[in-house]
Amino acid sequence: MMSFDFTGSTDPIRPDLSAQYQRVWTHIAAPGTWLTGAERVAVAAATRDARDCTLCRERKSALSPFSVDGAHATGAPSSLEPLLVDAVHRVATDAARLSKTWYDGMIAGGVSPERYVEALGVAVQVISIDEFHRALAIGLEPLPNPQEGAPTGLRPVGAKTADDAWVPTIQAADLGPDEEDLYDRAPGGKAPGVIKALSLVPAEVRSWKELAAAQYLSTENMMRMENDRALDRAQIELVAGRVSALNECFY
Amino acid sequence: MLRASIQYQGKTGDLRAVTEGSKGGDSGVHHGDALIAFAEAALGDDGAALATARDALRATAGSAALVDAAGVIGNFQRMVRIADGAGIDLDAPVAMLSSDFRDEIGLDEFGTASRIAKVGPVGRALSGALRGVANLGLRAWGRRSR
Repeated sequence: MMSFDFTGSTDPIRPDLSAQYQRVWTHIAAPGTWLTGAERVAVAAATRDARDCTLCRERKSALSPFSVDGAHATGAPSSLEPLLVDAVHRVATDAARLSKTWYDGMIAGGVSPERYVEALGVAVQVISIDEFHRALAIGLEPLPNPQEGAPTGLRPVGAKTADDAWVPTIQAADLGPDEEDLYDRAPGGKAPGVIKALSLVPAEVRSWKELAAAQYLSTENMMRMENDRALDRAQIELVAGRVSALNECFY
Repeated sequence: MLRASIQYQGKTGDLRAVTEGSKGGDSGVHHGDALIAFAEAALGDDGAALATARDALRATAGSAALVDAAGVIGNFQRMVRIADGAGIDLDAPVAMLSSDFRDEIGLDEFGTASRIAKVGPVGRALSGALRGVANLGLRAWGRRSR
């Protein structure tokens, strides 16, 4: 059966949404830049495990999420570093309380920034698709079967640590020939931080931007106040703002 | 973008609806209360409340609007985690343009607000005027891209 088949849905689902969700599932199953297909699917599974994880729930209710130790709820065993699994759970359940100190500790503990950024990219795409399903009371899509193959290991030459993010990113001026499509540069040659955030792994930026064009707006249409959706721009931004505020995200 | 899009429609709205929900005031957005209720319920753990909010939005705005709203919810559940997981700062121009109302609606109370560049009194005073210029730019862009 085709994945993301919404024919039985109470509410008609736009075909571009279904197509994007299928594309993301294929993307997640394939070998990535620093993670194998099996590891990427394991990240997706950990993302889902986090929702029912007792440790995550205890941390969420604690004054500090770093004051509670324990083991995360896990399904199938994987080759992911335990610290990377921990990071995925924290991103999924309590991202607003992550800190630079926590990030530095994870890196010092042996997780490479490249593997973390790729795992972050996979996790957030799974979350955005799963949350769509939950909001509409549609059952979650089974995770894809991982594809064989080795990660490419291609690190952008221009990626480096700067003072505007914890993770290494590519500044607009440092984009190489393989990354020229990555940013829709604002006047002055700057790229918005949220676009730069995952640029250490360009494939994840490209993937989430395609997904965003279906779920929200394409970057090309970001400055347009009119669109062809059922919600007008103010309605879209009200939902966006409320979701961000409930997540305590200033962005 | 919410303020700009409301102004683009020639309306006014209380932006505290973003941080406080419907009790924060009238957002000025069509079906605003139903959209806020759906977003709040989608992020909560109460299945019955979500079903009620979903039915209400479907009844008032229609199935297509409900699906669009679910997409936006999914999108921003992703975007906030990209921002928080990568530890990015708020872009300096955005920090300046939003400086006068961030405090007003409570955004500066968030723990993550420590990653917002500090804007001095001059910057705050200029932010309203600069935003006016930016809104004119958005209108021009909108007309050009129609």
